[in-house]
Amino acid sequence: MFRHILLPTDGSPLSEAAVEKGIDFAKSINARVTGLCVVPKQYPSYYDAEIPGGFQEKAESECKENAKIQLAALKKVAQGAEVACDVVMETSDQPYEAIVNVAEQKGCDLIMMASHGRRGIGALLIGSETQKVLTHSKIPVLVYR
Amino acid sequence: MFKHILLPTDGSEISFTTIKAGIRFAKSIGAKVTGLCVMPLQFTFFVEMEIPKQALEQASKRCKEVAETYLVAIEKEAEKTGVECNCVYETNDCPYEAIIQIAEQKCCDIIMMASHGRSGVGALLTGSETQKVLTHSKIPVLVYR
Repeated sequence: MFRHILLPTDGSPLSEAAVEKGIDFAKSINARVTGLCVVPKQYPSYYDAEIPGGFQEKAESECKENAKIQLAALKKVAQGAEVACDVVMETSDQPYEAIVNVAEQKGCDLIMMASHGRRGIGALLIGSETQKVLTHSKIPVLVYR
Repeated sequence: MFKHILLPTDGSEISFTTIKAGIRFAKSIGAKVTGLCVMPLQFTFFVEMEIPKQALEQASKRCKEVAETYLVAIEKEAEKTGVECNCVYETNDCPYEAIIQIAEQKCCDIIMMASHGRSGVGALLTGSETQKVLTHSKIPVLVYR
């Protein structure tokens, strides 16, 4: 029934576990996967101070480097499991928007993501990006724990 | 990967659409399903007055009858599709609690439910019971839309 699963990752251990399970799941139902990593566009500071020159560029390139590493790891796991895999890097300050948009663009029919990501388990609540994806997505979302 | 899907229903149209998708999903992965309907235990009134015992009994009986019609619909759909199906009727004032308990008792490995149920699509938010299941469940939840 599901043919193409979007696996968003933020590189956190919880999200990596969800990616691995997502690839297992894709294998078991003979689906393909698209890995997605969203990097922030802007780096706001707490004060309205000017950010020193070169910092912005450095932060951006570091984030992109990290994202590349995460996506390469995802691709490797998929290849090991013989699951067809594409990876996408997006720049956005609203990860959930990028997740929903890429899912639509790539024709994914399921989004599978961890209940929590980088910011950890805030008491009993569900992670904020997962929550926003659930709110805005028009395709089914499998929340993994 | 998933062998046993819990399909909770509140009898709403959107919930039945999800049941049908859940049964198709079960068929495609060779899993079995458990249908669940949770009805309230207590009937609260706005004014604190004594409720005749007979009325309470009648209400309980009526709830059970209605739940059975929902569950029979699940059984029929599963039979038509060729999926193994069991159904459970529960009474609980907090449906999400019963959903999680039954999922554990019956050893379900995934819960599939609609993003919204009987109370409808409240603007952009996820339905309240779905939200509570997402918050408290230890097994994956597939939120269908």
